[in-house]
Amino acid sequence: MEANQPIDFSSPRRQSKIAIGVILIKFIRQTIRAMWPILISFFIGGRNNTWFEEMLGYFVIAFAVFNLLGSVLTYFRFYFHLEEGAIVIDKGLLRRTHTNIPFERIQTINFKQNILHQIFNVVSVEIDTAGAKKSEMSIDALTKADADALRAQILAEKKQIVAQTATEEENAEAVAVDEEQEELILHLNPIDLLKVGVSQNHLRSMGIIFAFVFTTIDQFTDDWGEVVTDQVDNYQGFMPENGILAFGIIVIIVLLISFLFSLVNTVLKYFELSFFIKSSGFKLNRGLLNREEISINKSKIQTISWSETPVRHMLGLWTLQIEQASSAEAEQLKSKIKVPGCYIDQVNRVVTTAFPAEFYRDEARHKVSKLLKYRLLFFLGLFPILLAGTPLWFALQWEALYALLWIPMIWGIVHLYHTKRSFEINEELLRNNSGIFGRKHQLSQIHKVQAVKIKQSWYQRRKSLASVQLFTAAGQSTIPFISLDLAMELENYLLYRAESDTREWM
Amino acid sequence: MDAAALPQVETLTFHSIEKKYLRVSIITSAIFWTLALAGGLSISAFGDIDNRPLAYAIFGGGVLLLALANLTFIRASFKKKKYALRERDIIYTKGLWWSVRTSIPFNRIQHAELKQGPFERMYGLHSLKVFTAGGQSSDLVIPGLKEETAQSIKDFILGKTSQDGSESTD
Repeated sequence: MEANQPIDFSSPRRQSKIAIGVILIKFIRQTIRAMWPILISFFIGGRNNTWFEEMLGYFVIAFAVFNLLGSVLTYFRFYFHLEEGAIVIDKGLLRRTHTNIPFERIQTINFKQNILHQIFNVVSVEIDTAGAKKSEMSIDALTKADADALRAQILAEKKQIVAQTATEEENAEAVAVDEEQEELILHLNPIDLLKVGVSQNHLRSMGIIFAFVFTTIDQFTDDWGEVVTDQVDNYQGFMPENGILAFGIIVIIVLLISFLFSLVNTVLKYFELSFFIKSSGFKLNRGLLNREEISINKSKIQTISWSETPVRHMLGLWTLQIEQASSAEAEQLKSKIKVPGCYIDQVNRVVTTAFPAEFYRDEARHKVSKLLKYRLLFFLGLFPILLAGTPLWFALQWEALYALLWIPMIWGIVHLYHTKRSFEINEELLRNNSGIFGRKHQLSQIHKVQAVKIKQSWYQRRKSLASVQLFTAAGQSTIPFISLDLAMELENYLLYRAESDTREWM
Repeated sequence: MDAAALPQVETLTFHSIEKKYLRVSIITSAIFWTLALAGGLSISAFGDIDNRPLAYAIFGGGVLLLALANLTFIRASFKKKKYALRERDIIYTKGLWWSVRTSIPFNRIQHAELKQGPFERMYGLHSLKVFTAGGQSSDLVIPGLKEETAQSIKDFILGKTSQDGSESTD
């Protein structure tokens, strides 16, 4: 972390030489992604060589070489340096671009490493800025020492600029505190990682696998239905006798693959995850092949939520999610930082660090109206049965009555949902509780609210109910079906707090 | 919390938007339904249909019926479009079946601009767009404002935004 002799960033510099490799890999990936059907048909078609495919092959190779050359040149045409209060990046092969990012516009500076980065101990630096659409600049490869020094210099200067313009004590305090102090509060050891992997949502993995398999087959052949029936035909003699057995085996295989998929995915994504508390906020390191270092600025945190599923509940694990303000619409995913496998102490620690600790306490739970339950039962339970019931009756006669089991099932789910749906509020924080089988808590700082909506359907108006929706710079949360009086009281209070608070809010 | 002491939203006087905006809405929807009617009639005229008169009745009549329903809805919901300015926020209500009231504090507004479509221009009307950092779903559009009203609200908001936001950095 400490740079013994300050590195001079004031004159234009190139990236680390490793960047050539990084750009190259980026390029190869792009080419393969764009052309893989052609490439595969080229290799498969090698057997019955036709003139057309040969030409196509040459074309692909020529294209590759051209781009390869391009990526090497890209490296030599990329310069960056620090000017007065701004980082300047010059790049572009034919069309030169000159980008100047003032320090005060920089939100966060994150590091990323793929395998190549890790081997050569370099990082790619991503600078996230506020405002403009194209809100991110990246430097493909810098040595770790250079990157750390660059970030330290930028952050130090940014603080000075902020301190000059700000009158708040809070900012002045932040300048005084040493940036380098870090405290590790969470580290996923292999056993925790395994727990997280095992308790993933495997149904979701199954969905992803199915989606992938079908789109891939779809790209290879238009009539994959035929391919499947062809394959099934081979086992036709086998199927009728052992139908149930075969079905069972298929189910087990699919489950096993889904399980392994989510396990591998978890390991790749969350390997060696460590979570630090810093004076300015949090820092997160994670990943096996692609390693990331993400910084989270305390004042930019809009909501913190933590949730558990029944399986995670048995293991005592929570999934923590921190949402920070991000103006980049396209990079919405990046503004949400997920830490699976937190114990409740660690969750509490994060909350009390990010938000004023004295206000983090249990408050009176305001329930939502019972009518929501009946409303949901009607739309999810009775309505579908009425729609599906008639055709089912004609198809199955009396057996169609089994469909009525849907109603008590939905009733059970709706009941669980209603029992857990509530909100708690005090002078500083609003906590939204929800969940069906699991449990989710979402905590927001009230003064960071940007807009409040009161919504009423025709039905809600008749019953004098309303839903309140509040928006922060990181998204929205809803409190459904509370009495209109309470909704308006809430609206008034939220607006009053947002309007009278002078603290930083994004 | 003592909510009684806070400024109340519901006791506020709301301003209606310009009457002329109703005409803009009607023209816009009339164009849409004319196109839909043309589509319906040409299906009836050129489609491979045995009973042409019935097709005319279904497609033509259906579109007209929907258009009429839409028109009634536009007229009725127009009355719900109202706005109010308070000392520290702006409020806009709309919606006949689903009523929505959006309130945005001035010190959370990023940016405000005036917009004018071709039909709005015919009637000298403007729409005021208010942007927050909360993404598109929390942005606000107040249509049907006279030029001087729109401009003065915009100036008022931007003046307030810089004033209320002066303590914080962005």
